Amino acid sequence: MTEMLKVENLTKTFGENKVLRGIDGTVNSGQVIVVIGPSGGGKSTFLRCLNLLEKPTSGKVSFEGTDLTGLSEKALDDIREKMGMVFQSFNLFSNMNVLDNLTLAPKRVKNEAEAKAQTHAIELLEKVGLADKKAAYPDSLSGGQQQRVAIARALAMDPDVMLFDEPTSALDPEMVGEVLKVMQDLASDGMTMVVVTHEMGFARQVANEVWFMDGGNIAEKGTPEQIFDHPQNERTKDFLSKVLAQ
Amino acid sequence: MLRRKNYFKQLLLSLGLVLFAFIGLLGTITPVHAADNSLQRIKQKGVIVMGTSPDYPPYEFITKVNGKNKVVGMDVQVAQQIAKDLGVKLEIKQMDFDSLLVALETHKVDMVLSAMTPTETRKQSVDFSEPYYHARQSIIVRKQDKRLYKNKDSFKGKTVGVQTGSLQQNLANKQMKGTKKKGLTKVTDLILSLETNKIEGIVAEDAVAQAYVANDSRLASIDAGFDLGGDETGTAIAFAKHSDSLVNQVNQSLDKIKAKHLTKQYLASAGKYMATNTQNVSMFHYWTYFAKGIGYTLLITAIAVVIGIILGTLFAMGRLSKRTFIHYPAVWYIEFVRGTPLMIQVMFVYFGVGMLWNNIPAFFAGVVAVALNSAAYVAEIIRGGIDSVPTGQVEAARSLGMSHRDAMQTVVLPQAVKIIWPSLGNEFISLIKESSIVSIIGVTDLIYQLRAVQAATYRGVAPIAVAMIIYFIITFTLSRILNRAERKMQHD
Ligand SMILES: Nc1ncnc2c1ncn2[C@@H]1O[C@H](COP(=O)(O)OP(=O)(O)O)[C@@H](O)[C@H]1O
Ligand SMILES: [Mg+2]
Repeated sequence: MTEMLKVENLTKTFGENKVLRGIDGTVNSGQVIVVIGPSGGGKSTFLRCLNLLEKPTSGKVSFEGTDLTGLSEKALDDIREKMGMVFQSFNLFSNMNVLDNLTLAPKRVKNEAEAKAQTHAIELLEKVGLADKKAAYPDSLSGGQQQRVAIARALAMDPDVMLFDEPTSALDPEMVGEVLKVMQDLASDGMTMVVVTHEMGFARQVANEVWFMDGGNIAEKGTPEQIFDHPQNERTKDFLSKVLAQ
Repeated sequence: MLRRKNYFKQLLLSLGLVLFAFIGLLGTITPVHAADNSLQRIKQKGVIVMGTSPDYPPYEFITKVNGKNKVVGMDVQVAQQIAKDLGVKLEIKQMDFDSLLVALETHKVDMVLSAMTPTETRKQSVDFSEPYYHARQSIIVRKQDKRLYKNKDSFKGKTVGVQTGSLQQNLANKQMKGTKKKGLTKVTDLILSLETNKIEGIVAEDAVAQAYVANDSRLASIDAGFDLGGDETGTAIAFAKHSDSLVNQVNQSLDKIKAKHLTKQYLASAGKYMATNTQNVSMFHYWTYFAKGIGYTLLITAIAVVIGIILGTLFAMGRLSKRTFIHYPAVWYIEFVRGTPLMIQVMFVYFGVGMLWNNIPAFFAGVVAVALNSAAYVAEIIRGGIDSVPTGQVEAARSLGMSHRDAMQTVVLPQAVKIIWPSLGNEFISLIKESSIVSIIGVTDLIYQLRAVQAATYRGVAPIAVAMIIYFIITFTLSRILNRAERKMQHD
């Protein structure tokens, strides 16, 4: 198993606010890491530090052996094309239809020809079950459909790793399933994934490792069984009891 | 709070530095006259440029000759004689009377013939030829009031009109102490004020007064009865300082004109032009004036809009940039331009920049000034539009490996345009109206042509009404078109 992502003593401070207080962790190729934890604990910030959308205050973030923290914006653009990201609020380009959303970056960044980009895009849309929506504009789609398009858009760049930041939190309950299903398929295809989520069922089924994050630290790491069935840390126990009680 | 204070201090400091540098620059480029080569220069150029404000018949005014608008009048004929004697061509530049001397100092024109009297004050900044014409001063009044007035002293407690910057204004200030003075730039506006009872009389040169009286049956004139001393009665040609060789040469031509009593002949032929002008005072007869004005107004606006959008986008990006050496210049530019009147900017570009670039065409200067002005307003509109696009859109693009610039171009700006379209449309419509200010430097836009028609027809109100209706039709049509485009865009 090769190391895909490695984080060493990562900290992030906004003004006076220490949001990340020294995070260590490794994501191996093919692994699915699920990050759980209370709101405000720094999960989004951590994820955004992985592709340098947020600039770490100190520490190292290495991707496929390269330390990203010292790279120029130009070099980072090259790295980011290999790291797909899916946002809580979908963030589909609202000035373009579904097909253009998928083909824009391959054409602009990888200089792919229109025809090739389109063929690839249609394949991906079929995979997420939305080939019939290729001409639709984002605001005419349901939340679940938008999020599936967003996943397909990230996949269109053929990334080595996918980062998910609470992909189902903004969805109506009846649409959560269709998005989780797509993610599950992706995991079984062997995609390396880092997923921030409150979907404990998904974490238990799909994750290789669960990281519990609280107050800017990773308080506990382990297999789903270790975390969910035998949590060691008091805060993990506390958090799980609250979440599972719902 | 801390940030704001910091920012403000930086802004002030940098503004101060820019101003300093600029004033220093202006100081160093004040022309140095090592030797007087004025005559030689004209002969080398093969053309002499005359500056004039053609709203002062019979000295200078606009008329239609073979379907084309042309400046004619006594001063033009004097200038033609001079050019002929020098063996060069004559070129005429039109501008506001107030701008004429500045144009001389900045070498936009070589000489000024605009019924100008060589006063002591003017002599401090320019050189004058010998006077070529001596005029009496009159006061134009409404015909039915003529018996009420005898001379300048009959206007105590009343208001008379004078052209700003004119000799008559000076005389009235000095010798009509108990009388209120109303100064306007244009004689045509003064006539309008008189006819609408806003003022009781207009102090003007006799030749001018006679011209208006002859062409407008509602007017009459009386002798003003000023005490005049020496040169103050005459009309002379102004030149830039230190032009002795040119002035001497021109004086020879003037001697010839005086010896042959040519001015009488010139006035007579000017009178003929005026008579043909007033034969037909229907506004339709002057449609070519208005059409030309519309053309220029639309052209200025169109060019300014295009440049304004391009520069405005750059300034908006600059203001949004995190790099201070891009951010602050953009901020200064936007704040400075929005904090100064367009009129001053137009004059600054024409005269100020004109010190570095002598032959800057008025049209070019006008367009540049309006475009640069518009850029600042467009920048703020665009910034507002960009700010209102959710940050998630950029982040999504960046997460796919797109550069910031690429994300702006393909994702943010197209969305921003949709949002700002209505405000941009408003900006363009107001630009059509505001661009009218370029008429002060002689750009022949709609307002300028309105003045020309006023001067040609001796009618004050009708041309104003026509211009107003034209402006309305243009802006109304444009706003309909923009609305339609907006609706179409929202459907996409
Ligand atoms: N751009 C930012 N500027 C300032 N504070 C921020 C910013 N982003 C996040 N924070 C702060 O960092 C803390 C952690 O936020 P976040 O990473 O979003 O947590 P989570 O995703 O676990 O809910 C919060 O207190 C939040 O207010
Ligand atoms: Mg979050």
